[in-house]
Amino acid sequence: MITVIKNRQTLYACSIVFVFGFILFFIGTDGFTAYTAESARVTKLIENQPEFPEVTLEDSEGRTYSISEFEDKYVFITFIYTGCTTVCIQLEQNMAQVYNQIPREYLGQEIVFLSISFDPTRDDPAMLDKYKDMFKSDGETWRMARIPNQVELDSLLEKFGVIVIPDGNGNFAHNAAFYTVDGNGSLVDVMDFSDIDAAANKVVSLIEAGKGE
Amino acid sequence: MGQVIFGIVLLIALMIPPVATLMESVMIIHMHMQMPLLVIAGFFIARFFLDRFPRSFEKYNQNGLPGILLFSIIMIYWMLPRTMDEALTLQSVELFKFISLPFLAGVPLRDSWKKLSKVGKSNLITVFTVIFLGLGWVYIQSNDQLCNNYLVIDQMILGWGFITMAICMVIYLIYTLIVDPSQYE
Repeated sequence: MITVIKNRQTLYACSIVFVFGFILFFIGTDGFTAYTAESARVTKLIENQPEFPEVTLEDSEGRTYSISEFEDKYVFITFIYTGCTTVCIQLEQNMAQVYNQIPREYLGQEIVFLSISFDPTRDDPAMLDKYKDMFKSDGETWRMARIPNQVELDSLLEKFGVIVIPDGNGNFAHNAAFYTVDGNGSLVDVMDFSDIDAAANKVVSLIEAGKGE
Repeated sequence: MGQVIFGIVLLIALMIPPVATLMESVMIIHMHMQMPLLVIAGFFIARFFLDRFPRSFEKYNQNGLPGILLFSIIMIYWMLPRTMDEALTLQSVELFKFISLPFLAGVPLRDSWKKLSKVGKSNLITVFTVIFLGLGWVYIQSNDQLCNNYLVIDQMILGWGFITMAICMVIYLIYTLIVDPSQYE
């Protein structure tokens, strides 16, 4: 297929094109690692470690507080909406399995689980309370909350790279992952929600590394 | 000269914000209409460069290979989910799209296509057919959202668009094999 290279200039031109192409793809995919914007976003997030903003959470018991309620504890977070019939169910089921893998004594002491809804109009405390029962969440060591203030909610979603696209039928398309926030409110890890064991192991080692100090 | 003006007008028309936003709002129109149109605009504008620098093109692109290579690299680059997504989120990437597709893909295509032999042209189309089939399959069967700016249903439509294009190219290839135009002269 390769036609004979007729002269040296053509050879140079081909080489330059190859090098240019290589550099272009290298930059464009962050060293051939990220072919989707999502993987690029996650890598960048973990590098930047953004802080959880001062928003007001309202949980399934109707209690209101900010993230400082969980100061000095790790917070394992997912973003959901109760009307979701697709990925959220799997996401929360997996979250429940990670929850079950955490040693009893850490739950509530070293780490708290938190599911945040990005649909505050539909997901009021009563709705969240029913939803949490589906996954056997106790509402204490694993809380489900909404952020009633839309502006505050949007700032959190933007900071943590949670992309939510309403599809016009009351449903949302959104990316999904496990977010780990440390005791100072900084995002330290974003994990693939389909790998339960890896997530549980990572979280437990974070806790144990912190305790060793 | 007329075609160069036409190419420039086409390019400017595609760059106007409302037009660009409208085309980019639907995934398959973004990739299978806006991007090809940008290449076509460059194709027409190429006449200006070909008239101005004929010797350079003759020297560095004698058999058309470097040009077609550059064209292919730019085309494949813009078919990646990430780059299409970033064109919508980063201004710099969007700008690069409007520059690279006409001038780094359209212009080389114009110069290289006529220099390729019949076999070379068929080979190029075959390569792109394979790429389109592969990419189309990836976009169709992927359950994760590949682009943050588009829904999963959008990427499935795009995938089928790729397959359809690949089928058209296969039909063309069969035509070139079977039909001998000189018999109809």
